[in-house]
Amino acid sequence: MTAVLQTAPVEAVPNYRVSLRKFTRNKLAVAGLAVVLLFLLFCFVGPLLHSTDQTHTDLGQVNLAPGGAHWLGTDAVGHDELGRLMYGGKVSLLVGLAAGILATVIGTLWGAAAGYAGGWVDAVMMRVVDAGIAIPALFILLVVSAITTPDTAGLILVLGLVSWLVPSRLVRAETLTLKSRDYVLTLRATGGTHTRAITRHILPNSVSTIVVAATFQVADAILLVAYVSYLGLGVQPPKTDWGGMLSAGLTAAYSGRWWLIVPPGLAIILVVCAFNAIGDGLRDAFDVRGRG
Amino acid sequence: MSPARTRLLAGAVVCAGTLVLAGCSGSSGTSSASKDSINYALPANFTPNWILPIGTAAHLNTNNISIANTLWEPLIAYDGSTGKIAWNKAGSIAAAADFAADNKSVKITLGDRHWSDGKPITSKDVEFWFDLIKANKAQWAGYNPGKAPDNWTSFKADDDTHFTITFDKAYSPQWMLANELSLINPLPQHVWDKGTPKATWTYLNNAAKNIGGYATNPLWKTISGPYRVKSFSTAGKVVLTANKKYDGGEKPGIPTVNLLPFTTADAEKNALRSGTVDYGYIEATDLDQKDSFTARGYEVKPWSGWAITYMPYNFNNPAMGAVFKQLYARQAVQRSIDQTTLAKVVFNGTAVPGYGPVPQAQSSDFLSSTQKDNPYPFSTSAAKSLLTSHGWAEQGGVMTCTDSAKCGEGVAKGTKFEMTVLSQSGSTVTDNMMSAIQSSLAKTGIKFSIKTAPVNSVLSQTPQCTASQSICKWQLSFFGTAGSWYFNAFPTGDSLFQTKGGSNFGNYSDPAVDKLITASTTSSSNQAVQEYSAALAKDLPVIWLPEPDYQISVMKNGLGGFSQDSLANFHPAQWKWTS
Repeated sequence: MTAVLQTAPVEAVPNYRVSLRKFTRNKLAVAGLAVVLLFLLFCFVGPLLHSTDQTHTDLGQVNLAPGGAHWLGTDAVGHDELGRLMYGGKVSLLVGLAAGILATVIGTLWGAAAGYAGGWVDAVMMRVVDAGIAIPALFILLVVSAITTPDTAGLILVLGLVSWLVPSRLVRAETLTLKSRDYVLTLRATGGTHTRAITRHILPNSVSTIVVAATFQVADAILLVAYVSYLGLGVQPPKTDWGGMLSAGLTAAYSGRWWLIVPPGLAIILVVCAFNAIGDGLRDAFDVRGRG
Repeated sequence: MSPARTRLLAGAVVCAGTLVLAGCSGSSGTSSASKDSINYALPANFTPNWILPIGTAAHLNTNNISIANTLWEPLIAYDGSTGKIAWNKAGSIAAAADFAADNKSVKITLGDRHWSDGKPITSKDVEFWFDLIKANKAQWAGYNPGKAPDNWTSFKADDDTHFTITFDKAYSPQWMLANELSLINPLPQHVWDKGTPKATWTYLNNAAKNIGGYATNPLWKTISGPYRVKSFSTAGKVVLTANKKYDGGEKPGIPTVNLLPFTTADAEKNALRSGTVDYGYIEATDLDQKDSFTARGYEVKPWSGWAITYMPYNFNNPAMGAVFKQLYARQAVQRSIDQTTLAKVVFNGTAVPGYGPVPQAQSSDFLSSTQKDNPYPFSTSAAKSLLTSHGWAEQGGVMTCTDSAKCGEGVAKGTKFEMTVLSQSGSTVTDNMMSAIQSSLAKTGIKFSIKTAPVNSVLSQTPQCTASQSICKWQLSFFGTAGSWYFNAFPTGDSLFQTKGGSNFGNYSDPAVDKLITASTTSSSNQAVQEYSAALAKDLPVIWLPEPDYQISVMKNGLGGFSQDSLANFHPAQWKWTS
């Protein structure tokens, strides 16, 4: 007589659920997500609740301390600082998000193409990346800002074009390992095209790397736009962003007008840290090591 | 969190903190001065780079000139160092200037002066300068066609201490002294002469290009001024030490003068706070920190400049030139700018409204009552009326020409009153002023866009041009954070507003004004300058803007005995520690 060992059937848990569970258990990542969502609400919904004139100056209301009419005071030309923080945040977040996504898209396509093609094509494409990384992004930004009039679309384009290098390296490395997998080799052996191999197998399997890179790219882009604006080469008045606000308020650092410096400085720090926390959370969530 | 991201986060925090507190900037890191020395802060981002007392375009800077004039005294020091703009005889080689009755020549008498090597300063040293400039005038930064040396027809040395310069016609003696003869620097002919003026020019300019040799090259050791160079670094720090052989009227009050360069105004301000600068500056926006500097043993003293500030229109701009040529349009723009409030609020009281081509920060006999009384007081409603009565109507918040016959010649129906300024970057005060002007013009219905660039970039991108040139796209230019134009002592507009004048960037042209400008340089009466002042206050060749102080000086208590020269030169020999 043979004893038959019977085991209860195990229900397979989808990968995304595992990832989601891991992400939600990461308190820092959840806090980061909450901060980003709060800032998005603050900047895009806030102006509907706290309506201010951010186009015209009011020289009769300059440098007012925080108080009843102006919760965060006013700046050197009479703009309500709370409204300005929302107005500037729109530009910072919009530019950061769009430039981060643009950089990730460019980097992904470049890295996937290089890694998949291999050989001299890979060598040439990655030397281009190496050369690009060797030139400081800030330097390129300053040169471009000096010869063109920066606007929101222009900043997104320029930041996207100088920030794709790191994601391209990450995606290339991922592609190099994926392209030798059996399912890719089988596709090629059965007549599948290179494009199909990249779009149907390599990119979908690299998505975790891409998403994580994207969050870090957004954080980096927000910092970069702050740098450029701080140097006076960001969006032009009456528009502003957090970096520009910081720059404008810097002269007040020793005059006790903290409300011109602390809010935009804090906003930059919080949002950049939040995106980094989200990125870390996502990376841990997508990490297959340790999964049961 | 990965180490790389941790570093990035730390970087973000540190950077933001740095942004909040100071910004990244360099300083010269010098020690505090004693009573035998003084540390003077040069303007931010300026590095002294020329010792020769003959400026060339590439090295033209008032601070270079100030340094050169402490080594080689000018023939006639016509400046504001005595408290008013006048001939400072104590700081001049010349002792007297006697104009002929017909004002067509001048006889100069030299003082009894000597070079540092003991040789006397003679007419030959002046003639040496005269010949050098005549032969190389195109390379000389002070050259304006038709003016010196073109209008000096001859130089005659009467003896060692007397010479006569003859002019091509009669000139105003005051103008000739203040704006032309003051350009002459007697030079040590016995040391510098290389045979011909051309050869000498090349030799001196080549030698002057070697900044590292300024303290050691024997060429620069024969001087006439109160100081000599002790060291001159390529990084910009200059140490001057008293010339013991100096026999002029301005004996050095402090034996050693350290001129310190700074990369940014913030770096300079930090040096002031740390006490390493004795004579420095702060920005207008920092004026509310006056008490903190006073508590540190400093005196805060505005330095008013003999300058005007303005925004030139490009009358040849293909899109807006025709609009700019309409006086009513310029009046509408000028009436939209509230200079009084700008001066009080944005400039923190460190500027005065300017309504015309003559500086208004100091009282002078050149200022007309028309300019002084502001012919176009601020009123956006009046500005709006000016436009609507000339065929413009507000559409979507922007004035649009609806009747080309009324709008004026060349202004097509449908033209929108939209203009862009290329403005100097790097100054919060300027940014704030531009924002306020933008806001104010918007109320009139004029769209005013702002583009910023470093001042050198502004100047290179807004040159004189013709409509067909691609560079002529600029519409308005602003390069006047510390004043747009510093005059010689006599504020004529020959290069600014005369047709084809060298610095008439916007190509303004009016034959009647040309005549007034010519009259102002030839008439012996100030009436001509006043008429010119009134004409341009009314005709608005540029947008007149508040005239800021040259700088807000911060001086250690006890430093005194001098007036800050409104011509923006500094005179170290006059500085003294009084306590």
